[in-house]
Amino acid sequence: MKKLICLGFGLAALACAQEPQRLTLPFRDPSMPKKLNVELMLGSITVKGYDGNDAIIEYTGRSIRPSGRGGDAPPGMHRIGGSGGLEVTEEANTIRIRNGSFISRGDLVIQVPVQTSVTVKTMSGQNLTVDNIAGEIEANNFNGQVTVTNASGSVVAHSMNGKVTVSLNKVAPDKNMSFSTMNGDVDVTLPADTKANLRMRADDGDIFTDFDVNMGPPAAPQVQEEKDKSGRPRTRARISGAEQGTINGGGPEMQFTTFNGRILIHKK
Amino acid sequence: MTCDQTKALFADYWSRSLSGTNEAALEVHLAGCEACRGELDRLGRLWRELELLPAFEDAVEPGPKLRPRFYETLSAYRQGLESAPAPKLPPGPRLASLWPRRVAWQVALSCALLLMGIGIGFAVRSAPAESRGSEVAQLHAEVNNMRQLVALSLLQQQSASERLRGVSFAYRVEPSDSEVLAALLETVNHDPNVNVRLAAVDALHPFAASPAAREAVIQALPRQTTPLVQVALIDLLVDLKEKEAEPELRRLAGMASDPGVRQRAQWALEKLQ
Repeated sequence: MKKLICLGFGLAALACAQEPQRLTLPFRDPSMPKKLNVELMLGSITVKGYDGNDAIIEYTGRSIRPSGRGGDAPPGMHRIGGSGGLEVTEEANTIRIRNGSFISRGDLVIQVPVQTSVTVKTMSGQNLTVDNIAGEIEANNFNGQVTVTNASGSVVAHSMNGKVTVSLNKVAPDKNMSFSTMNGDVDVTLPADTKANLRMRADDGDIFTDFDVNMGPPAAPQVQEEKDKSGRPRTRARISGAEQGTINGGGPEMQFTTFNGRILIHKK
Repeated sequence: MTCDQTKALFADYWSRSLSGTNEAALEVHLAGCEACRGELDRLGRLWRELELLPAFEDAVEPGPKLRPRFYETLSAYRQGLESAPAPKLPPGPRLASLWPRRVAWQVALSCALLLMGIGIGFAVRSAPAESRGSEVAQLHAEVNNMRQLVALSLLQQQSASERLRGVSFAYRVEPSDSEVLAALLETVNHDPNVNVRLAAVDALHPFAASPAAREAVIQALPRQTTPLVQVALIDLLVDLKEKEAEPELRRLAGMASDPGVRQRAQWALEKLQ
């Protein structure tokens, strides 16, 4: 039942800094759910929804050496190849894109039908951008920011060292969502009528919103009896933990987490 | 397919969200396994009973077909009424002659009937109270069982959003449920999505009474490489006042790649002193 086609395309041999390579790959069955799964080590990724049935993949290979350390073209010359490359497979309506080699770097722009579920992961992408997608979005960037715009399904996004910005035009009912970053702001825009249960946690920052949030009862303070250094008893109480609330009467759970940043929840 | 694997698919089967291959595999197994067939049937009945309970999420809007179908049924019923023979009139005059004429007798008779009704009510109610208590307990256990199944099957889904839903279902099972605990720990250690792992760490809080859970949380710490999840695990250990975690925290305080995690581990060590 499962058929596999594997396209390894030697973009590297042809890639030229100015001219992106382009590949159009159809989804096997346009009437079935479509999935896009991208994993890159280096390079930035943009995924855009468009009005069509195929995946259009544009890839610009770049030198693996940074500018100034051997990566620049000598005067009067331009780059025609070297490291880089990409492997694309289609199996059971899932299109998978991987780096051909471990250290290759490049910029990837992918256009897919709006109704596609998208999973994107990059280790040190500068930017990870997903625009105009109505399926489920899962985005993960290690050393860069995650930006999701014009989404109308569900979003699960994480960045380790960057800002997470998500804007939803519509929210799919009954979908849980989660937005998290270690070192950056979590900035989420939701439609004004979104029903959700919010769980928010900003260890070292503040939480702001223009929604009317019905905050749940605060977690019971933790009281601890202990002894100080000279052995005298003392009491220590801690009030903290994830903060919870509901908007528009509550609904599926949305989780917001940041360690060194702020949480901003905007009303559209 | 084993019986356990089959059972994990039951919830999907009754919610009609099973993929073609899974459904085929399920049917093959059911054909040969009497026990699973019985179980599936029983769950189906429970599933329908659950639908009758007040919904804890949004009420479902009636579909557009409901209205025409209702009127169809109504007109069919009316036609049936017209074609049926007219019902015989009740023997009014004869019954009425039994009713006393005097107001005092009327009041007395009404009171007697009322007292009799109350008496019968008490007699009927006190008898099966015990068996009803056990029925409630049984239903409670079955609901818990169902939630467990839903949580376990959602945690296996491909979509991160569905797995997050599985984690939030885990909050609704009894915290003594070892299967759900095992599934949550599996998620904390192996789920490919950071956000799902993070949510699963939070969901471990209610299970903290179990020594196995505390032990597993300590063991999860060195396996975790994502700073945000490391911090969540450290906070959980502090909340549990788990002093056994000290060596692991000491290692993180010295060696974790992220400065935030090193600070947090140091803070946790001071808290647990």
